[in-house]
Amino acid sequence: MRVKRMLTLLLALAMALSLAACGGGSGEGTGSAGLDLEAASWEEVVEAARGTTVTFYGWGGDENRNNWLNSAVADYVSERYDITLEVVGMNIEDILAKLAGEKEAGTEAGSIDMIWINGENFYSAKENGLLYGPFTDKLPNVEAYIDTEDPETLNDFSMPIEGYEAPYAKAQLVLYNDSAVTPEAPASAQALLDYCRQYPGRVTYPAPPDFTGSAFVRNIIYEVCGWEQFQDMEADYDTVKAAIEPALEYLRELNPYLWNEGRTFPDTSTTVDSMFADGELVMSMSYAPFTVATGIDQGLLSDTTRTFVFDNGTIGNTNYMAIAFNSPNKAGAMVVIDAILSAEVQLSQYETLRELPVVDADKLSQEERAAFDAVDLGQGVLTQAELLSHRLPEMPADLVPVIEEIWLDEVVGQYND
Amino acid sequence: MGKKWFSRLLLLVTAVCILLPAALLLVWSVTGRWPWPRLTPETYTLRTLRELLFGSTSLLRLLGSSVALAGTTAVLSTAVAVLTARATELYRFPGRSLARFCGLLPLLIPGTVFAIGVHLVFLRLGLADTVAGVLLVHLVTALPYAIAILTDVTAAVGANLEEQAAVLGAGPLAAFRWATLPRLVPGILSSLSMAFTLSYSQYFSTLIVGGGRVRTLAMVLVPYIQSGDRPLASAYAAVFTGSALLVFALFEWAIHRLERRGEL
Repeated sequence: MRVKRMLTLLLALAMALSLAACGGGSGEGTGSAGLDLEAASWEEVVEAARGTTVTFYGWGGDENRNNWLNSAVADYVSERYDITLEVVGMNIEDILAKLAGEKEAGTEAGSIDMIWINGENFYSAKENGLLYGPFTDKLPNVEAYIDTEDPETLNDFSMPIEGYEAPYAKAQLVLYNDSAVTPEAPASAQALLDYCRQYPGRVTYPAPPDFTGSAFVRNIIYEVCGWEQFQDMEADYDTVKAAIEPALEYLRELNPYLWNEGRTFPDTSTTVDSMFADGELVMSMSYAPFTVATGIDQGLLSDTTRTFVFDNGTIGNTNYMAIAFNSPNKAGAMVVIDAILSAEVQLSQYETLRELPVVDADKLSQEERAAFDAVDLGQGVLTQAELLSHRLPEMPADLVPVIEEIWLDEVVGQYND
Repeated sequence: MGKKWFSRLLLLVTAVCILLPAALLLVWSVTGRWPWPRLTPETYTLRTLRELLFGSTSLLRLLGSSVALAGTTAVLSTAVAVLTARATELYRFPGRSLARFCGLLPLLIPGTVFAIGVHLVFLRLGLADTVAGVLLVHLVTALPYAIAILTDVTAAVGANLEEQAAVLGAGPLAAFRWATLPRLVPGILSSLSMAFTLSYSQYFSTLIVGGGRVRTLAMVLVPYIQSGDRPLASAYAAVFTGSALLVFALFEWAIHRLERRGEL
């Protein structure tokens, strides 16, 4: 009896609280300085951005990138446009959760200006109206440096971008191992199978939906089934499963030779990287194509580590910058995004972070191109030209979760008879 | 004799269990590579120290804001808990056990659910992305523990001495101040430390309610743990643990000073 009364009271309390939460009006702050961004000229946008602060939200686990943003990029926009750049480290799921909350609460002036985003996250953010746009057609550096016909400028994981995000850097899946430990560098699915047989229990890949593990599985699918058929495939479980059946068979074939016999997989690419660094695994993989050079520089990897890709190519994608729907400083965000697209900042990113630049080589001046060519990428990596000539397009974003689900059903801990 | 030997062994084992991982943290924070099956690291690096001291995130400012936030949470939640415990332990009133139960309510809701829900409410109240909002959330997180600790201590101390003081002519404030408060000290210390630790190590709630604008040490530390930069994560973790221990020592020192001066 007493418990029941207590529960009733609790329920009443909870209801009162949630009512209070729904009731409060919003309509705070008008945000941008009354400038009509659609109609404004670029000069007016730059003028409105002068003296403001721009926040840039994105993954904060890369010390080098944090430092680069806080120094090189921050200095660049402060000197040129008198803009203060504030970098905030936050995982993309949390950023989107925050934005969704603000959308639900009707917050017109949020706290996020720029977002580092791509793929499924971009797709869902755009679908749910969490992004501002289109804005890329306003940016002079898009015109000046970006190949606007490039499929990766038009589509993100085969989903139309429609001006809602601008390229930031290019990524590409690479594999790496230590030539002093294993002389082989398996450059095809068949070679990889032999390699796993030779080093049983010392190869694995991160379990999808880890970003890198998921890309690795898609890459195996490309290896076994080709890539063209997926570009316009319907995101239906049975359709996809039928199409990737040979790849599933291959992955099950690998299982007995993998770490822990393929019964379990490491949860993140981070774990796989650490296991490789500790010598527990003989091979690892990354979406950052020059990661080996950085690792050798930082003393995390031995200097006999080297990068390789499949002869048939590996999946590449671009990551992008978008603007939040309720950004309080859209003009400032546009100016910073434009600055990051400049040849100067892209070159600095290539030099300092060793990220593939997004600028179109054909649009660069002689000197600019020479400067890019002169960058020393460090040890153990492939050149930009080698990477780009082995670059395959991503699958449509809506196929990705379907494949991850099928992998879970059909591959983990399963063996061909 | 045998009993003494046993308790010493127990102490030793406990000390090793606590100190060894802490020492490992220090070693890892200057380690480059440490492949299996080596007993000692293969290479060492000063990269992490360089990053800590001269990196783009100002360590001192982070430490300052984290300690200030957690310290405020500790003091406020302990003050609230002392009063709550008095109310529920020393007075009889209808709904007393309900009140006692309500003090522990926040423990029943998972932290992530609480953070997301409270974020919505705070957005409407204009408390999202503010230090005040984060402080409130930390307070709610820390209060159940502070209340639980002080409820037990207050019940044990009871009201007898205070009543005695009242009989001798002391006013209610003076009676509490001189008869009860000194005997609550151990509980107050535990409560301060507990609340401090809880606030100091909050990650998700600070992230969501603070919107990345309220920066604490945990906010910088966690991404490095997630990204697998073990040396840098270890270095930050060492600073994190060390600074928290320092604050505990400070609490202890301050209270014992008051005791020695006869003010407690």
